[in-house]
Amino acid sequence: MLSTFYFISSFWLWLHLFAEPAVTKPPVCQGATAAYADTTIVIRALAGLQYEQTRLVVKPKTRFRIVLENADDMSHNLVVTRPNSRMKVVEAALKMGTDGAKKNYVPNLPEVIANIPLLEPSHTDTLTLTLDEGAYPFVCTYPGHGYVMYGVIHATREPKRLPPVDEDPYVPKRADAGDHAAHGKQSAHPYKMTFPALYRTFMPECGPAAIAVGLPADPTAGQQSYCWDAGSCRLRYAWTGGFVDSYGHWEGNGNRLTKVVGDIYYNDRSGFPFRIGTATPVPQFKGYELVNRYPKFSYSLGSVQVTELIRAVPGKRGLVRQFTLSAGKLPVTFLLDQQEGVQYQTRINNVVASAKNGRLELPAGTRQFSVTMLVP
Amino acid sequence: MLLTLFLSTLLAVAAPADTITDYYTVETIPTPEGLIVETGGIAFMPDGRLVACFHRGEVMMYHPKTRKWSLFAEGLHDPLGVIPVSNNEVLVMQRPELTRIKDTNGDGVADRYETVSDQFGMSGNYHEFAFGPVKDAKGNLYFSLNTASNGAGIRDEIRGRYDSLGRQGRMYACVPYRGWVMQLSPDGKLTPWASGFRSPNGIGFDAKGRLLVTDNQGDWLGTSKLYYVEKGKFYGHPASLVWREGFPDIDPLTLTPAQLDSMRTREVVAFPHQRIAHSPTQMVADKTGGKFGPYAGQLFVGEMDFPRLVRVLFDEVDGELQGACIPFMDKAGLRMGNNRLAFAPDGSLWVGQNDHGWVGARGLQRIVYKQGVPLDLMDMHLTATGFDLTFSQPLDEAAARQVASYAFRRFYYKYHRAYGSPETDSQPVAVSDVKLSADKRTVSLTLGELKKGYVYELTLGNLRSADGKKKVANRLVCYTLNRLKSPGTATVRTKP
Repeated sequence: MLSTFYFISSFWLWLHLFAEPAVTKPPVCQGATAAYADTTIVIRALAGLQYEQTRLVVKPKTRFRIVLENADDMSHNLVVTRPNSRMKVVEAALKMGTDGAKKNYVPNLPEVIANIPLLEPSHTDTLTLTLDEGAYPFVCTYPGHGYVMYGVIHATREPKRLPPVDEDPYVPKRADAGDHAAHGKQSAHPYKMTFPALYRTFMPECGPAAIAVGLPADPTAGQQSYCWDAGSCRLRYAWTGGFVDSYGHWEGNGNRLTKVVGDIYYNDRSGFPFRIGTATPVPQFKGYELVNRYPKFSYSLGSVQVTELIRAVPGKRGLVRQFTLSAGKLPVTFLLDQQEGVQYQTRINNVVASAKNGRLELPAGTRQFSVTMLVP
Repeated sequence: MLLTLFLSTLLAVAAPADTITDYYTVETIPTPEGLIVETGGIAFMPDGRLVACFHRGEVMMYHPKTRKWSLFAEGLHDPLGVIPVSNNEVLVMQRPELTRIKDTNGDGVADRYETVSDQFGMSGNYHEFAFGPVKDAKGNLYFSLNTASNGAGIRDEIRGRYDSLGRQGRMYACVPYRGWVMQLSPDGKLTPWASGFRSPNGIGFDAKGRLLVTDNQGDWLGTSKLYYVEKGKFYGHPASLVWREGFPDIDPLTLTPAQLDSMRTREVVAFPHQRIAHSPTQMVADKTGGKFGPYAGQLFVGEMDFPRLVRVLFDEVDGELQGACIPFMDKAGLRMGNNRLAFAPDGSLWVGQNDHGWVGARGLQRIVYKQGVPLDLMDMHLTATGFDLTFSQPLDEAAARQVASYAFRRFYYKYHRAYGSPETDSQPVAVSDVKLSADKRTVSLTLGELKKGYVYELTLGNLRSADGKKKVANRLVCYTLNRLKSPGTATVRTKP
């Protein structure tokens, strides 16, 4: 691995390196990671929809150059996106249709920071870039490639804080990556991460008693995850493209929040959705039960007990929220969060029932209902 | 003749060479690959398995016989304590709540996580740890809530009522019951039990069932402390007072240190900084009935920054608890970071380590009693004129009767807003008389001066056992003298 991961520098760059007290010798490859001062990085596209290098570490606000060598027998490009925007760019490239090839499958989005256009086999091209602190995905946006063919550029002054490369959530996991990666080290725990997976942790844009849930990946829609607030007992937001990165929160003093890995596609803006009679009840969290690892949350609204279980909509971006209610004497209303681009399908006692003006009226005695949110 | 003289001189100076590792051994327990062993809690299940929870949210079981680990529960937020309920159910204290975790289908993996109590605030500040639970003989549960640190702010969204009067100071309590010990009764009633804590990482009981809490050196704590916690009392860190019923609508920091001093209940034992402990952790009473050696009934306290535990020697003076602390297993194979302690059914003492954000270390070890009795201080009682020291073994008379074998110094720690305190008004205290009991185990010392409000630090000299084979295992002992013995009280002594 070492020999195929090489490093180019001019005499001038060497001087620069020596002027940096933090880098006293040429950057050394550790696993698939290397640290660069101001330099040129060569990335090779290989057979099997992969970049040979999946993690680059650069200094923030320092110019560097990427050379893409296409060593595969298929065409590939390389698009650098804003943090957490890989899937959005990949999906936009998919929708370019016949127009795509002409534009190298690089969508016209503000999330695209830089790109190397589509390269025929054995061709080489370069780009030059300066990044602020952050984790910037790079991805091949040729249709279908972007789900697995990607990597990350970490622009950081603290490369030691990065997780090991095989635990880096921004780096694609490969089943055939060999013994080192395949056994044990892929997980942050002494067991393999199995989805659905749940973390109680500090999440952004949520109360401090947050729950992050990662759902099983879907062959077409990818992985979806959501954040549920155990303080206010409600769904807060959902995203695609991954689960979470908790390393920052676990390490140090715990002040840093867990990060969303992927793109948030839905953020609740309506507040607590239940009304009992005309009153807005104060919920009390009761915990959860795991049903085939899916958390079924319990909370009480006064005398009414609620459970909520959330699944991904198969093949589509969206969530199915299944609720049960204990017997109650008052009608219950569930308010749908009316946002542009969010479509709802609702069922009461397993029968399609439509909401009126965003209000799903549940007659007294309703024991179950579901709300399917689609965000295409 | 010359040879005989040489030999006798040699014998006279030859010091006993025993060490604590002749009596106890430390074993390191292998942990699963991939587990970050920042130990938040350990306990033993009724069936003898160890249950342990870790920083990244895992609750795992370890079978000491098969030496196999298995996962019981996952996904918790910084769990810092666990106690068993039955072989398939535990209670875990995690940041947001006390949770009952059950395996209801018998497959060995938890499937139900019930919120037992989340009726306390969270500002989102990283320092708002939650410690415990521990259970008393009547079934009441207790847990303790850390204050927040001004090393960081609070979140935009918080849980619980916000009170800006509690937001002042280095460590603050702007949401309910930060800096409190809470009691949860068996019928589910949550009672704010006692206030005035800063960072109460250790909560437990002594052998008599008295509720104890350790707190960490910092603002208002000149050094780390052990408190005997009783309902309604205030233990000295002011921030939590805003959540006391009937407390006026003022910032507690506007009270003078003298006012706060008059309100507070002092520690039972101060752990002198640098010398004894930097960050005391959980305590556990030796109720093994001798399986763990000669310290039955005594209290052990964990410590983060030194490779040792601390042993506590209680004293009761006119019905009030005070006492002394002394190292245990110092530099004898334990790592640092000794955060959680639990006695196994076989009488070995298990130690879960943690380094989270502190010095510490990671891992799991256990201390096993081998045999014999080290020469160690077993009791330290205040008398009207000094102290009675009782040792585990008869002492060699020559050394025991020398005044020079007992070097005392006294000092106090300031009670003030600043972080920590220097050792203040430090003075050597002369020992004017030494008496040795008939059984040679108890030394009665007369001191030149006894002053309340001071720590009496005693450094023992070259004491050795009467048979000359053992040297005193720990030389440093620090007695917290809150209360003097009233002159009328007779001192119970062993016969002179």
